[in-house]
Amino acid sequence: MPPDDGHGRRDYDVVVVGGGVVGCAIAWRLSFTTARVALVEAAHDVGEGASKGNTGIATSGADCAPGTLEADLVTRSSPRWEELCASLDTPWRRIGTLAVAMSAQEERGLQHLREQAVRNGCRSELLSGSEARALEPLVSPRALAAVHIPDDGIVDSLRLVIGYAELAARNGVDVLTGAPVTGFDRDGGRIAGVRTARGRLAARFVVNAAGIEAGRISALAGGDEFEMWPRQGQYLLLDRELGGRFAKIVGGVPTELTRGIYCVPTTNGSLLLGPTAVDSSYPGEKAVDSDTLDAVFAAAQRLVPAVRRDQAIKLFAANRPASDPVYRVGPDSRVGNLVHAAGIRSTGVSSSPATADLVHSLLADAGAPVEAEDASAQTALAPLPRLLGHPDPERLLHLDPRYGQVVCACEQVTAAEIAAACAMRVPPRSLDALRKRTRAAGGRCQGTVCLAGVSFLLSLHMGMQPWEIPVGEPEATLGVAS
Amino acid sequence: MTVAIVGAGITGLACAAELAPGERVEVFDRIPVAGGVHGWRAPETVALHRAVLRAGVAMRLGATAVRWDGEALLAVGPGGVQRLPAAALVVATGARPLTRAELGIAGGRPAGVVPAPVACHLAENGLLVGRRPCVVGGGDWAARACHELLAAGAEAVTLLAPDGPSRPLPGGVRVVEGVTPAAVEGGPRVTALLAGDERIACDAVVLAHGLAPLRNVDGAVWEGPGVVYAGSLADPATVAGAREAGARAAAEVRGLLGTEAAA
Repeated sequence: MPPDDGHGRRDYDVVVVGGGVVGCAIAWRLSFTTARVALVEAAHDVGEGASKGNTGIATSGADCAPGTLEADLVTRSSPRWEELCASLDTPWRRIGTLAVAMSAQEERGLQHLREQAVRNGCRSELLSGSEARALEPLVSPRALAAVHIPDDGIVDSLRLVIGYAELAARNGVDVLTGAPVTGFDRDGGRIAGVRTARGRLAARFVVNAAGIEAGRISALAGGDEFEMWPRQGQYLLLDRELGGRFAKIVGGVPTELTRGIYCVPTTNGSLLLGPTAVDSSYPGEKAVDSDTLDAVFAAAQRLVPAVRRDQAIKLFAANRPASDPVYRVGPDSRVGNLVHAAGIRSTGVSSSPATADLVHSLLADAGAPVEAEDASAQTALAPLPRLLGHPDPERLLHLDPRYGQVVCACEQVTAAEIAAACAMRVPPRSLDALRKRTRAAGGRCQGTVCLAGVSFLLSLHMGMQPWEIPVGEPEATLGVAS
Repeated sequence: MTVAIVGAGITGLACAAELAPGERVEVFDRIPVAGGVHGWRAPETVALHRAVLRAGVAMRLGATAVRWDGEALLAVGPGGVQRLPAAALVVATGARPLTRAELGIAGGRPAGVVPAPVACHLAENGLLVGRRPCVVGGGDWAARACHELLAAGAEAVTLLAPDGPSRPLPGGVRVVEGVTPAAVEGGPRVTALLAGDERIACDAVVLAHGLAPLRNVDGAVWEGPGVVYAGSLADPATVAGAREAGARAAAEVRGLLGTEAAA
């Protein structure tokens, strides 16, 4: 971190506001330049907003509206996933999607999807019901037809955000979590500094990647007026033993309103059902209700009869940022050194690498010193081996004997993996943050067996007493002082 | 033939004792002592443990069984990695209370919603998950959680027992019966549990209701080739019930292997 000037003030070329997938991708891209960059995030960890609760699909863009910025950024991102995820130690597999029609009306919708895919330059093929079942035997025998989109993939979106932030931090970006923006210092028509709960940062340029809060941040900066609101999605997460049997993402037919309910095998083997799409006005609202979950489950079971409600290991809700228009990526019309990367709704993960490139070039156009590449920048994170599914566990124990200490039995997370997560530049500061990095306590027993042990280990690494360990945000600890 | 048994509780030990005269048996447990929920000092644990060792059973205590591929079990422990080719795998890994998802408790995800085994484990180490916790359940785990929480300094404990309490409770526990938990309220920490028309104010919800098999060996979580499940979901868990479950599993293994019980 640059030394402060004695008044809690630090100087940066670019301050990125928002540590979701968009902000972290931008910080990652800027970390390859010689610019001095900070990323400020209100929550205690990166990836705590919309990036925390999404399907984990990296779409190839087949279902994006043709001709839009969204379609452009998603289709330009799609070919990059293999290389990108390898460099960020992020699990990823290009398994493809089957959009399945169960009725004549849905079959007509497939035609529309297919035309969109062609216009977006995405590969797709129209299949009969039996051809679809040959690709994914779990698809309902009542399926009439399907469109196969082979270039869609699944990504661990939590690890993606953390990977972006971690590599950025290793390349010198200051990642400040727990630092909500409280205001901006103005100098004429420009921003001079960003005031946060963790001090003031002098900023030559500011990127607004604040997700649902982006409209409020713009208003605080005296910038363009726009409104963001949360669109809530509810999900059921099903057991790994079922998810591991899926070969394809299975979805319904997208409509004008929503992409619909999906059955998405995740990179760690579980199966995600969801999301719903309900606009609300309160960003803190992340409650699930049983009627909605029943509807999600019924929609998923219609596509894949093998799913069972008693295989659910977790029920959760998350909000994605909704706005009109979507994808407001560009310079502010009033504030000369403010660039927005806002309105990025459900495809934030899928478009993140190309969005980061776009914001980089927008900053360069605005005169930010981001054009000189830093030859010494690290281009990839060293992959951290994991016991789960590892072909040669013996070798892991030679690497670090703590691989022999399985802490979370459901997800087979070892003490070595927990220690490595705690040694990150963007370390976990809560049990949730540790789960995002390692999956510890995130399996079928949801920590029933291991949470006490996991919290003792985390407290050792954090130098805190076990009861002081936050579950998520610092105000809510695992224990209370007795 | 070789039989791998995962779980060195009374069930696993009893199964090993039945099979050892005729088969080569290895017993795995993730913690370095035998006995499971009945504890390593229980007289039945001590006697069975001695008996299986005398019968030549290999005890792999402290090794976590992670994967079964139908032909071999992979176990990992501080001592190293072991791949044990086996004709059958007995899963005797016990039971746990139902999770929040299994109970279908709606609402947000505030801190303070904790499985009973975690709350008990923490309380035994002087760590209290809430001053005014609400325990959900009526059986063994619920009674144990009430005891442990009060012993660790909880000011007031409410027990929400959907089917009524089946075990004796410590004095001072307020009991709410006949309603099922529907949703939690609050954030960042839980402030209430909603059940029927009740709104129970609390700063922790301790999940102790029902029992589900605790199964986490990949490839043997559900039915699979060569997999025999040994366990009882009786509440309270008894030594006799565990022995019976072990004997039943042993008979099933013999059926699978086509072998006779040794005289």
